[in-house]
Amino acid sequence: MNALIGVRGLVKEHGEGRSRVRAVDAVDLEVPEGQTLAVMGPSGCGKSTLLHLLGGLERPTDGEVWLAGRRVDTLSERALARLRRRSVGFVFQAFHLMEELSAAENVELPALLAGRSRREARRRASLLLERVGLTGRARHLPSQLSGGQRQRVAIARALANDPLVVLADEPTGNLDTAATHDVLRIFEELRSAGQTLVIVTHDERVAATADRLVSMRDGMFVDDTRLAGTGTGWLGGLIGLDG
Amino acid sequence: MGSAVIVFRLVLADIRRHRAQAAMLLLAVTVATAAYALGLSLQGVSQALYQQTREATAGPDVVALAPDPGPAVAPTLTSLARAPEVVAHNGPYRIVYATLVAGDATSKVVVHGAANKPGAVDRPLVTSGRWVRSGGAVLERGFAAALGVRVGDRVTIEGRAYPVVGIAVTAATSIYPWAAQIGPGGGPSDPTGLAWLTRSDARALAAGNDLPVTTAMDLKLRDPDATQAFVDAHHHPTVRVTFHTWQFKAEQDAVMLRDSQPILVVGSWLLGFLAVTGVAALAAGRAGEQSRRAGLLKAVGAGPGLIAAVLLTEYLALALLAEALGLVLARLAEPAIASPTASRIGDVAGPAGATVVATTALAVAVAGLSTLRPTLRALRTATVTALGGAARRPRHHPLLTALSGLLPAPLLLGLRLTARRPGRAVLQACSTATTLIAVVALLAVHAQPAREYGLGSSALPNLRDVHDRRLLLAVTVLLIALAAVNTLALTWTTATEARVNMAVARTLGATPGQVCAGLSTAQLLPALLGAVAGVPLGVFVYWLFSAGETTAPPMSWMISAALAVLLATAALTALPARLAARRPVAPTLSAEAA
Repeated sequence: MNALIGVRGLVKEHGEGRSRVRAVDAVDLEVPEGQTLAVMGPSGCGKSTLLHLLGGLERPTDGEVWLAGRRVDTLSERALARLRRRSVGFVFQAFHLMEELSAAENVELPALLAGRSRREARRRASLLLERVGLTGRARHLPSQLSGGQRQRVAIARALANDPLVVLADEPTGNLDTAATHDVLRIFEELRSAGQTLVIVTHDERVAATADRLVSMRDGMFVDDTRLAGTGTGWLGGLIGLDG
Repeated sequence: MGSAVIVFRLVLADIRRHRAQAAMLLLAVTVATAAYALGLSLQGVSQALYQQTREATAGPDVVALAPDPGPAVAPTLTSLARAPEVVAHNGPYRIVYATLVAGDATSKVVVHGAANKPGAVDRPLVTSGRWVRSGGAVLERGFAAALGVRVGDRVTIEGRAYPVVGIAVTAATSIYPWAAQIGPGGGPSDPTGLAWLTRSDARALAAGNDLPVTTAMDLKLRDPDATQAFVDAHHHPTVRVTFHTWQFKAEQDAVMLRDSQPILVVGSWLLGFLAVTGVAALAAGRAGEQSRRAGLLKAVGAGPGLIAAVLLTEYLALALLAEALGLVLARLAEPAIASPTASRIGDVAGPAGATVVATTALAVAVAGLSTLRPTLRALRTATVTALGGAARRPRHHPLLTALSGLLPAPLLLGLRLTARRPGRAVLQACSTATTLIAVVALLAVHAQPAREYGLGSSALPNLRDVHDRRLLLAVTVLLIALAAVNTLALTWTTATEARVNMAVARTLGATPGQVCAGLSTAQLLPALLGAVAGVPLGVFVYWLFSAGETTAPPMSWMISAALAVLLATAALTALPARLAARRPVAPTLSAEAA
């Protein structure tokens, strides 16, 4: 596969016997490097499961997942961890910051886990916090930050190791409009910088910032739309993210 | 009534839902209260057994012992028998100091020259075989048990073989190995057993081998409690007579258990302490859930009293049930522990009222100390916050976090987990220190020079030492078992509380192995501190409760013990840590977000 992310015949089933549910049903997907892909669909349609499969957090029941030319679904847990460490950044709806660590310490963590020196991790964290507009909040604990600020810390953390792809699961699901705009601006900057992004969302405003929109229903792709591919996309332009 | 039913139902449902935790609480409090009840019950038990033996054998109130030979001895003792305070007597009779061989064992023995038919005072109770006859020997039961001799076996006294025709108990001497009362010539005595021969056989034994002899007389007083007045009134100016009162023998009997009581009582405190740490770990692990329960009850209109009752009753009820089990265990174990020599007969009374009160206090203290804080916190938490089930927010430790940044990933995760819940780390350290206190005390006991009863190459074990070592070993094993359960509980609680953080770490690239090692490290770091503190504390505790000069165990033993405890901790943490590290990441994060 030439695409950064490739998925073939991907199936994920949950449960046993009669309660078995097919969360992802024979999905094929290719995401080129630098593309921002939005995945939309109703609750329970399998969006988050797809994201977990792409990031190696879950193993598929069937099918293949490729990342940067390497098959992911057959890797050992240790190799998957290395892959996540180097190549994947996650952003969650619930932020999942470590409550006992400051914003800077949260952002440093992936670099430290990747074996970088503390000084390097700290320098990188400072740069990223500056990039998301939180330089003055570096020493704050998550409990001292607003929801939007927490999500910006989470995005900075996802970028700590320069991942090939950032996987965002409902990144604005817990945010108000102003905070959503802040997060979308950061995504737009990432997109402009050539960062590959896969964003699972309910929010059309978020989807509008993407290059491409895939709609899911009952575990399957029902629509695959290429958006304008310029700036924030045509929907993004409509909601004022241009300029 | 309605509230009681609600509390009962909620408590029962919660116990059913958390059976493993209930079992752990039961185990911890049962062993602690059993050891405590046993320790307290030993108070006065030797005296009680002596009294029962005394009553069953018409034991003398005073034994007069004249160690010097001479024609004045017999008249002097006979004059004592005619004293107005004396209502009956036995003797005078010979006590011959000899050596007895039974199989491979050689021991000192005092041979009492006994009448073929015992009189009104000192009627040894034959528990096996028959009373003495010419050419046959009767052995005191404690002595026979130590030698492994039964009726029909043969023993050799000063080169002459005697068939053992009977085994008996008496209250005229202290328990084996203190049957000699006084040594040859009135000097100190070595550990010695007691045998009876007929008077003529005892006389022949002494004369034929030129053995030292003490002449004795057993006396029954009109007022059995007035022994000291009798002794004070009958000092002879020319003939040396040593008096042994029944009170003295009862006290001498108690020496056998002198170290048993501190071993059990101090052991029970340590067990109780471990019970508190274990149950506190469980309670802390369930703090979020209890908080949610409190919130739910508040939301439906329950008052603080009812909520406190629901949250405390479960632990309290289980602790009291465990206390009842502990008392039963103590009652069952007491006969074996209270009478290690077989020299006495009778029943032990079992835990008294004061003991029951004390064990109840211990059980309530364990339940209260370990659960009061989380209960109060749940009561104080605002209803809406409590409904969220949020556990207490972990603390920020910038220095430790910065320090951990210099370490490899497993140590980084471990140190941060430790810093996250320092109280949990303190519990782990205390648990390890407590275990090592007992282990080091056990090593110290084993480091003391052996003082066996046998002569020469013979090896008759020192009953008191053996008894103490067995008790200490049992207490140590229980402590190790509880500490092991605590370590499992603490690791699992840490893993459960940090499950989201560990899942996040996994999404950030931590391997399951690193997470597993981190969880183990989180227990090992405080365990290391506990081990460092436990070794000197163990030496101190042993020194505190040992009389006279003691030999410290070799440093290599103590270091090995500390390393073994740390290795065991690492092994114990591995399983729950591995299970936790293998937990799927996505469901954990999804559940937390829901």
